[in-house]
Order: sequence, then C-alpha cells, then structure tokens
Amino acid sequence: MAERGTRPSIGRSYAHGMGVAFVAHCLLNQNSKVGDGAHCAGVYSPVVDVLRDAGWRIEQMPCPELAFTGLNRFWAVREQLDTAAYRKHCRRLALTVADMISVRVQQGEDIVLIGVEGSPSMGVRITSSDPARGGLPEWPEGTSELTSGEGIFVEELRRELGSRGIAAGTSGETHALPDHDEAAQRARISAALDGR
Amino acid sequence: MKPDQRSFRIALLADRFVNPPPGELDGLAVAARAGWGVMQLPAADYPAQIAGRILAEVAEQLEEFSRHGYDFVVVGECGGLPAALGAVGLPVPDQIMPSTAQELLGLLKARPAPPGSSWPGLA
Repeated sequence: MAERGTRPSIGRSYAHGMGVAFVAHCLLNQNSKVGDGAHCAGVYSPVVDVLRDAGWRIEQMPCPELAFTGLNRFWAVREQLDTAAYRKHCRRLALTVADMISVRVQQGEDIVLIGVEGSPSMGVRITSSDPARGGLPEWPEGTSELTSGEGIFVEELRRELGSRGIAAGTSGETHALPDHDEAAQRARISAALDGR
Repeated sequence: MKPDQRSFRIALLADRFVNPPPGELDGLAVAARAGWGVMQLPAADYPAQIAGRILAEVAEQLEEFSRHGYDFVVVGECGGLPAALGAVGLPVPDQIMPSTAQELLGLLKARPAPPGSSWPGLA
C-alpha cells in the first residue's frame, strides 16, 4: 500500500492558469514499471505534490515501454530499445501527446514535461546506455549505464513539439539515480515550473 | 534493492478526479491513499478525434495489465471508453461514481486481492 509520506496534498486542487504538466505514466501508476522497479504502490506522490502545490494541472502521458514490450520486460538500456519499430511506436504516441499539448498551448497554458531520469525512454537529462548489453540478461549490479541524454520517447516528443514551434520546460523524477534526494528533486521540478 | 511495491490495482479516473475543481473530490489523492495506481481518462475539452486516440492508448495498455491479472475500476464517466475497450476485447470494469473521498476510499479498499498480485517475477 502507499508509503507513509507519499500522499498527494488533499485539498490542494488544480488552479486554472498555472500551466499543464505532462507527466510520465508511471508517476501516477507505478504498476507500469519494469519488474522490481515500483517505488510505491501506485501514485508517486513526491512529484504529484510539487505540481499540486504549485497549482499545475496534471496530464498523464502513455508508457511507451508497457505497450511495446509488456509487463514482463527486462530492465533495458537505450541501445536495446532503439529499433525502427520502437521509434515508430514512440512517434505514434508522441503525435497524440503533441496534439494534446497543442490544445493546451492554444488555450494559453504553459507546458512542462516531467520524465523519469535514468529511463531509456522517459529520461529528460539522464538516460541509460550500454552498447554491449544484450544476450543472457545477467550483469553486475550497478548504474554504469547512466549517461547524459534523453530517452527515446522524450526525444521523439520534443522533435514533434519542435516541428510545431512549441517549447516545453522539462524535469524528471530521479528516484532511480544513485544520488537521489527528494528535496533536490522537488527543487529541480519547482525550478522547471517557475521557469515557465 | 527495495522490493517492488506495486499494488496490482489501477483506477481509471475521469479527468475531473485527477484535476478537481477547488472543493471537489480529489480522486488522485484518494487513490494514492488506498495504494492504487491511476490511469487518467481524457479531459472533456479535447476534440473527439484526440480523445479517441488517447482512449485507444489507454485500452492498449489496459489490455496488457488485464492479461497479467491486475484489478481495475472506473471512477467517473467517459463516453468513449466502452468502445475503446471493446476494440481490444475488454469489458468495461466495475464503474463507481463516488460523491465523497470516504466513499471512494472504502470502495477501493474493499476490493479483493487481484490474481496478478502473486506474480512470481518479482524479487
């Protein structure tokens, strides 16, 4: 069940006009995570709280990995997912999300994308990379695959938004990073919201 | 590594329960308190063509959860949902229209453990 201290702020509802945060699917639904990756039962409230406290509307993006590789997928790095078929899948999803964002932009809303740092698909500033990874899924415990860059879906979405002349702020949930600090995560997301 | 904490329970929330107007039921907060994940249904102000594509993606993801024995409920109303679910061979899950947070919390907590919660793939 939900972890103590990770509940959204009841009563701090969306106030129109502060902007719209398009969030990674798993921030509202940890059930979509790769096996052994769910940090809490369902809603990852440390991020939801920041958005709610700042009065931002929340809209959930689809999980690109869930529909493509399923719930029983292995942990993966970018190189394992970066195929023509996966790019096509991500572009399809990105078109829909970009259409949603376009509607909000036309309504005068500011936009922020909240991704998942370290993710091969949803990373905003940190993704995961290891050109040698493949075959029998056994490798030493560690985080050496973390590297600067965006995940594949975020890349495709930002490309589509760029073609439409839409600039969106970005930030990411950092729970999977070895130096994760909840206060620092909150500060970074708040800074992204304030920068809009 | 900390054990996987997923609940195997997902509430499909109408947008007004994710982004409630001031003073109205905050379904996202209740789902978090109950330990349920959330899949957001499209806001009513999206054009039908965009809403239909959002629902198609929701249905495709729900089909994957369904094959693994997760539990679902629909909270609120969404006109295009039955057709989207039908397109991937899924029935509409149990649907609730709560008027208070306590009512929603009670309904979510009263659901039996879903079959997927014994997934041996987790550490």
